[in-house]
Amino acid sequence: MKDIARQQMSIKVESMDMLNAQIQMEGKASASYLAMASWCDQRGYNQSASFMYQQAAEEREHMMKIFKFVNDCGGSALSPEIGNINHDFTSLEEVFETALSQEIEVTKSINRIVAGAKKNSDFGVENFLQWFITEQLEEEKTMRDILDLFEIMGRDGIALKLIDERIKAE
Amino acid sequence: MSPMERIHSTQYYTFFQSDKERCFYIDLGQKVVRLSFCQLLALRQRIWSINIENHFDEDINPHGLEILALCNREHLFVLNTLEVLDLKELLTGAFFLLDIAAQTPSLSPRV
Ligand SMILES: [Fe+2]
Ligand SMILES: [Fe+2]
Repeated sequence: MKDIARQQMSIKVESMDMLNAQIQMEGKASASYLAMASWCDQRGYNQSASFMYQQAAEEREHMMKIFKFVNDCGGSALSPEIGNINHDFTSLEEVFETALSQEIEVTKSINRIVAGAKKNSDFGVENFLQWFITEQLEEEKTMRDILDLFEIMGRDGIALKLIDERIKAE
Repeated sequence: MSPMERIHSTQYYTFFQSDKERCFYIDLGQKVVRLSFCQLLALRQRIWSINIENHFDEDINPHGLEILALCNREHLFVLNTLEVLDLKELLTGAFFLLDIAAQTPSLSPRV
């Protein structure tokens, strides 16, 4: 018997399913950052808004990277349905707190896929995700550094303006 | 139909591979369906997206039936709850034996 299926696809279906779930998660993160960008834009936090627009674009890139990988490996990438995006925040600090928890959830999810790929000896997938592991550590740090500013500078009107000015979209 | 190798059978269905045509066949009882690899992946995704709990919900799915359109709607099947579960089991086993799934509880790999 020829390995017809194996010749068509180089990753395991379990990995494909997990990567499709990750595509959905990155897509949702992108949409969520866009909602945060809108909140910041409407309140005159211009630097924060630019930062969030950029995050939204980056999350979409992450999504596309995984999407392409799944198809390149012969799998079938699914275009995600995205709903239920939160647009309500009570403060600029809450926006960044939400961003940090969202990033932590993504980190956990990537870690779970890596662990699964390892368990299934799907080393190509494990290797592909190394970039995401490093990226997640950086993303968490970025958000933590911004949240530190609120501790240092306070939360009154002037402080918020100064914090916003310090936030840089790279 | 050229010679096919039987890969896996469940209570209702049988999964075949044709080396010569580089494709797969599923004997669904009423009909034998020919599937390319991507059609096979699409079938799996369709079956996996079925929420079987809805089959036990009088309001959402009162008859516990699933309509399955295969191969760009070339074939149409109506499956009951047991048939859906059996098809899922068939694909789980077949994917494992085809060496593109890592896990299945009940089967050992081909050598
Ligand atoms: Fe991401
Ligand atoms: Fe991120």
